[in-house]
Amino acid sequence: MNFLHRQTWPRLRDEGHEVACHFCDSLHEVELIEEGQSASCNTCNTLLYRNRPQSLERAVAFGLSGALFFIGMLALPFITLDAQGSATTVSMVETVVRLWLQGGRTIAITVLAFIFVLPLTILFSLLYICIPLSRGKTLPGVQLVGYLFQVIQPWIMVEVFFLGTMVSLLKLMKLADVSMGFGFWSMIALMLSLAASVSGIDRIELWDRIEVALARKDQEDAAVEGGVEC
Amino acid sequence: MLKSAQELGKVSCHICAQVSSIEKHVCGRCHSDLHSRKTNSVQRCIALLFASVIAYIPANVWPIMVITQLGVTEGSTILGGVAIFWQMKAYPIATVIFIASVLIPGLKIIALIWLCALAKGLVKMSPKSANKIYWLTELVGRWSMVDVFVVAILVALIQMGNLMSIEPGPAAVSFILMVVLTMLAAHSFDPRIIWDRVRITSSS
Repeated sequence: MNFLHRQTWPRLRDEGHEVACHFCDSLHEVELIEEGQSASCNTCNTLLYRNRPQSLERAVAFGLSGALFFIGMLALPFITLDAQGSATTVSMVETVVRLWLQGGRTIAITVLAFIFVLPLTILFSLLYICIPLSRGKTLPGVQLVGYLFQVIQPWIMVEVFFLGTMVSLLKLMKLADVSMGFGFWSMIALMLSLAASVSGIDRIELWDRIEVALARKDQEDAAVEGGVEC
Repeated sequence: MLKSAQELGKVSCHICAQVSSIEKHVCGRCHSDLHSRKTNSVQRCIALLFASVIAYIPANVWPIMVITQLGVTEGSTILGGVAIFWQMKAYPIATVIFIASVLIPGLKIIALIWLCALAKGLVKMSPKSANKIYWLTELVGRWSMVDVFVVAILVALIQMGNLMSIEPGPAAVSFILMVVLTMLAAHSFDPRIIWDRVRITSSS
């Protein structure tokens, strides 16, 4: 049991943890599972939770690399179009600005939201929670940030934008010489980092860890207050 | 079949997954509002689907981009773009665009209507198959946005004065609306109500 315990994450209590399947609402006891294993619903076989190996380390490492590639994607040259001797090179930021000036305001806002703002928010919220958690601490407003992290996830569309880029490449290739810059490669790296960081830690583990860190903080605060009164 | 959390007087938080007593309205762990089932899920889903069908028609009929080439202006619809790629013998790309832009949104709307009918007990299907359908509708929803991003890149890049320029067409806005609305419809649906019905019928 001690061996297994070493491979699992800290919890506030040892027993009485329950989880309901989000598809069929069947109630299960959360059992400790070894790293790399997952637990499924007994009624409908939907995945309930996993024990990700080195979860916090992975979430932080891929989150940080994601942030780096995010900057690369925005600022570095994305696509170069060479038509009859006049070459146009644009970065992602320039793409959105040109789109806006060209009258595609709704599309510009869509790209801005789904490719810039939401992925940045998810990276920020993951790092805001996980960096302090790896030292057993939390920052103020962790519940709100955790809420954002959960709600935003289905709306990340970097990989869809990647497919869109591939399709437009094929359209552009008949008009001009097209070449991809580092901004494009950064986007692919961002896409992979995002997937690895977000799926790097299970939701149940994340919140169990937050709960433990919050309880520890309350305890320390109480001890400090008690000390002052004495 | 295991008993549901609701049957046992409990509710699971949709943000942090902690199970609390059904009397509680706010999760003690993450402070989110607790709902045993999503509020009015079938009604909301149908309303959002209705809106997305309205957006689906202009999205496919109107031009998604307007191409001006050597002074001649012509609109390009999504299906027109698919046809051009097909004529160019670019079959994989024509298939990708057709599936992502036309087939997925259409099938998704039909699938969600079916699931709503299932939740209301109007049709019959094994709940496990219903799970798979719902899982698929949630998974593929975002990919319909691919054509909007194609237009975004083409409009931003192809600005060569009189030689050739591309502007977004009126279908772009309805297309974005349609994708967002179908995604919201899928999120507002609650697959647990299908299982509630199965539990009631199997116990009686």
